[in-house]
Amino acid sequence: MGETVAGIVANPASGRDIRRLVAQASVFPTAEKANMVQRLLAAFAVTGLDRALVSTDLGGISAAVLKALGRGGTWPTVDFCADDPITGTAADTTNAVRRMVAAGAGVIVVLGGDGTARVAAAACEDVPILALSTGTNNAFPQMREATVAGLAAGLIASGQVDPDLVTHRVSVLEVVTKARREIALVDVCVSTSRHIGARALWDPATLTELYCTFAEPDGIGLSSVPGQLCPSPRSSPDGVALQLGPVDETPYVVHAPIAPGLVRPVGVRGWGVLKPGMRVELAASGGVIALDGERELELKTGESAFVELKPDGPWVVDVRATMAEAARKGLLRTETELGKERRR
Amino acid sequence: MTDTLREAYRVMRTIRAFEERVHDEFATGEIPGFGPLYAGEEASAAGVCAHLDDRDTIAGAHRGHGHCIAKGVDVKAMMAEIYGRKTGSCHGKGGSLHIADLSKGMLGAHGIAGGGPPLICGTALAAKQQNTGGVGVAFFGEGAGNQGTTLEALNLASVWDLPALFVAENNGYAEVTSSTWSVASDNIADRAAGFGVPGVIVDGFDFFAIHEAAGEAVERARDGGGPTLIEIKFTRFPGDGALDCLELFRTRVTESGELREQVLDDIDAEVAKLIEESVSEAKAAPKPTPEDLETDVYVSY
Repeated sequence: MGETVAGIVANPASGRDIRRLVAQASVFPTAEKANMVQRLLAAFAVTGLDRALVSTDLGGISAAVLKALGRGGTWPTVDFCADDPITGTAADTTNAVRRMVAAGAGVIVVLGGDGTARVAAAACEDVPILALSTGTNNAFPQMREATVAGLAAGLIASGQVDPDLVTHRVSVLEVVTKARREIALVDVCVSTSRHIGARALWDPATLTELYCTFAEPDGIGLSSVPGQLCPSPRSSPDGVALQLGPVDETPYVVHAPIAPGLVRPVGVRGWGVLKPGMRVELAASGGVIALDGERELELKTGESAFVELKPDGPWVVDVRATMAEAARKGLLRTETELGKERRR
Repeated sequence: MTDTLREAYRVMRTIRAFEERVHDEFATGEIPGFGPLYAGEEASAAGVCAHLDDRDTIAGAHRGHGHCIAKGVDVKAMMAEIYGRKTGSCHGKGGSLHIADLSKGMLGAHGIAGGGPPLICGTALAAKQQNTGGVGVAFFGEGAGNQGTTLEALNLASVWDLPALFVAENNGYAEVTSSTWSVASDNIADRAAGFGVPGVIVDGFDFFAIHEAAGEAVERARDGGGPTLIEIKFTRFPGDGALDCLELFRTRVTESGELREQVLDDIDAEVAKLIEESVSEAKAAPKPTPEDLETDVYVSY
């Protein structure tokens, strides 16, 4: 095996939107994101990884990592993705992920919320991603200690754990409009809002249709609605489709944690299984389509849009399985002289 | 909503036209002093002030003309003030950096960065004590975010649960100093958590994002929910579509069919006429006399 590489993309904008105001969503300050990158790097070093590629931003994360580099420490070689101009938009995540794929990264760790993971997933090709939560809804990224995640990512990227054993491919929802093609990792929702505005969704009264790749009873975000009504595990190839409406007009009302701090009654007219490969027309004309809980696409009057569940989403690292495999193979153990003596 | 959109566009266009004209007039040497401009940041003042009424007060920042216009200060009186004329908002004594109109709830632009946040704590406290439902709003730059006055005001507003809104307009430069060299935590909003105040970040070029976030914050303040810090970022870089808030706004509302091009063009023409008149009237207006020096300066209790 040649040089072993892993990537870290940290979104400076995640976890700072209006949900801090309309609910009590958690705050992820820049300083904590920079700390997480450093914890990942420290763990990479233990696994013997040669090189880490880290995204560059103007929000202060890469600057703090660079500062820490100057203080010394046991890290792999750290290179910053600095060849693309920084736009301050989602394009920065896309560009960084593409650079990491081109550099032969074995794993890409993504720090952000559902929105960041979605953007990274669209660009990572066959390179497995490990999404860590530094955002708001976090139905897709895991709330996990970065040090452990760094060990898992480092063990895979350095070739010590076979990715085939500890990664799996997830489904995505593809939304196609006249001008755009986007994916969602968890949910696609149609809202009667006219504008993208502050992006987040927190008022269920505006929602009319909901499609989810999975729906867990203990989920957070919009997928928690079917999670309490018609659960569908992540392992199932099928998704769910729901028709929503005002709570006083629908046969079902779910009290769902649609965002941190917001348990809201959501009216459901009906639901069904969403089969992979089935193309569904969205009645979104003149409204907005939200992807993974964020309003993303504004539709003109008369403009059509379709959604389809696709099985060929990104490869995702299972941290628990990776660490179990490491334990089985004894990758994080060394035998000392004393141990050898005892065995004799 | 259509009326709100039309009014918001008028405010943004008025600010732009006013600032562009002031820029040109400054170059002639006819205007005394110094005038930091607000062009490019119009969506912030317009998006926030669209939720405010006569009960509410605002304090502007160094670049304070935009906030005045958005809060309803008379444009002709503002131009006269910048020209130092007797017909100005402050009878020619304030100029650009001290422009104010208390009758409109505009407490003043500030020559000293960070001057506004403590003032709005005062008006917010008054509104709370008198139960008017009023809100105090401070606009300040990321440079002022480093001032003790701003941090003290955030603390005071939080501990007294004041109906206050802190709007950090972050354009990446305090005068000519990049925030890279001067701001320890790059997000001003990150500091809010230290005071137990919600801190959110919105895109400064997107009127709709600002309008929505400010609406929630103002409503929260009016309902006794306490202060909010909104950081409005103007630090996006060109290359990803238009970054002109006026152009973005025009495209969005015409594409969605909410307003017609003609309506917006008519507003542009009306605003151009208003600015033209404000300059010619300011130039023709009398200058303050030596007797004016001591008027409105001393107060007897």
